[in-house]
Amino acid sequence: MPGYYDIDDILMEEEPISVVFQVSANGVGLLDPGAERNSVEKGAKVDLPFWLAHGLLSLEQAVSINVPPCFTQKTRKEIQADAACVDLRIRCPYFYELGCKIVPLVNDRSIGLFLRYAFTSRYKEILSKSHSSSMMTVPKFVPRLTKEEAQVFESARDSMTAFKKWRAGGVRLQKASILGRKRKTKLPDGPSAP
Amino acid sequence: MAGQSDPHLSIFSPSEVEFVAEDEIVEIVPNIRMEALNMICGDFGPFFPQIASKVPLWLAVALKKRGKCTIRTPDWMTVDRLTQVLDAERESPKEFQPLPFHYIEISKLLFDHARDDISDAYLVRSLIEDIRDVRFHKVETGLETISGRTHAVKLKNLSAMEVNIVRPFMVRTLQAFYKHDSPQMIQQADNTGSRPTPVTDRGPRRDLRRR
Repeated sequence: MPGYYDIDDILMEEEPISVVFQVSANGVGLLDPGAERNSVEKGAKVDLPFWLAHGLLSLEQAVSINVPPCFTQKTRKEIQADAACVDLRIRCPYFYELGCKIVPLVNDRSIGLFLRYAFTSRYKEILSKSHSSSMMTVPKFVPRLTKEEAQVFESARDSMTAFKKWRAGGVRLQKASILGRKRKTKLPDGPSAP
Repeated sequence: MAGQSDPHLSIFSPSEVEFVAEDEIVEIVPNIRMEALNMICGDFGPFFPQIASKVPLWLAVALKKRGKCTIRTPDWMTVDRLTQVLDAERESPKEFQPLPFHYIEISKLLFDHARDDISDAYLVRSLIEDIRDVRFHKVETGLETISGRTHAVKLKNLSAMEVNIVRPFMVRTLQAFYKHDSPQMIQQADNTGSRPTPVTDRGPRRDLRRR
């Protein structure tokens, strides 16, 4: 669970979210590129970072949040066709984290089911590749994984790599690199000839 | 624990699991006379030449390195026994045959330090590798069946090193399923337009083997 200092959680909240203002907002025209005055009109559609949209929503329902593009029907159809081949990272690196936070805020009730279906489908592909791939070669689907999926994949790969390294044996103790270096000591120069 | 980067996930390195395995008891045949050794974990000895004695693996390895004993191969680490285990492993798709909890580590230590005491060492090693591969494939096949919130996964007879390999993946996977299959995420969709039904906190317990 994300804590206060969780950098992934902080980065996730930077994702842009499309919102519609339910009230006019004075003095914040900076948020609306199409605003003519220093204010946002009621009904204006604006892209805000998640932390700001979430904050405004909790303050007297100032904005209503639209479903982000990565959870629309287009992405869902692609996931249903072949989940492992969809590049979720390019859509949203924090696909699952954002989805979990967006579910209570939007009217679409099926995002939760979609998240579970997506993870369940892609998880099998991660499972079949993670323990058997080495550090040298990277399977083709790895660049398409989200942050969370990549963590799962890398933890399994690192675990198997550590086991194989131990299995191969070798010396238990390692020599400190400094001990291998030869010391170069310069004798002080003699007095210069007159 | 070495190599720990995620504070929420405890990771044992294989060397640490091997260190724990060295407390297993093995049988040695000393070729020297020695008084009893009084350890915190117990008293071992006294040792007499050609009379078998049980000691921890770390002590057996230390004595072997000094040429003071031969290590008797465990009963399970013979060609006949391992062949039976391998056949049984292949026949049952979901069950694991009972083997010592640290069989991978014990076999590695014996191969590293007491190879001359093992008869048919090459065949024994090959059989253990095959057994480990078959068992790991069964673990992966079992993991594929996870498709929802799961509170516990029962893996009877799985050994320490096998658990250690799969622990990071399994823990993170179960955490993800726990999050995505939680009532807060799914209940909204399931109860659209109907009265909310009470949802028990615990999901179904899943066995990766037949009872």
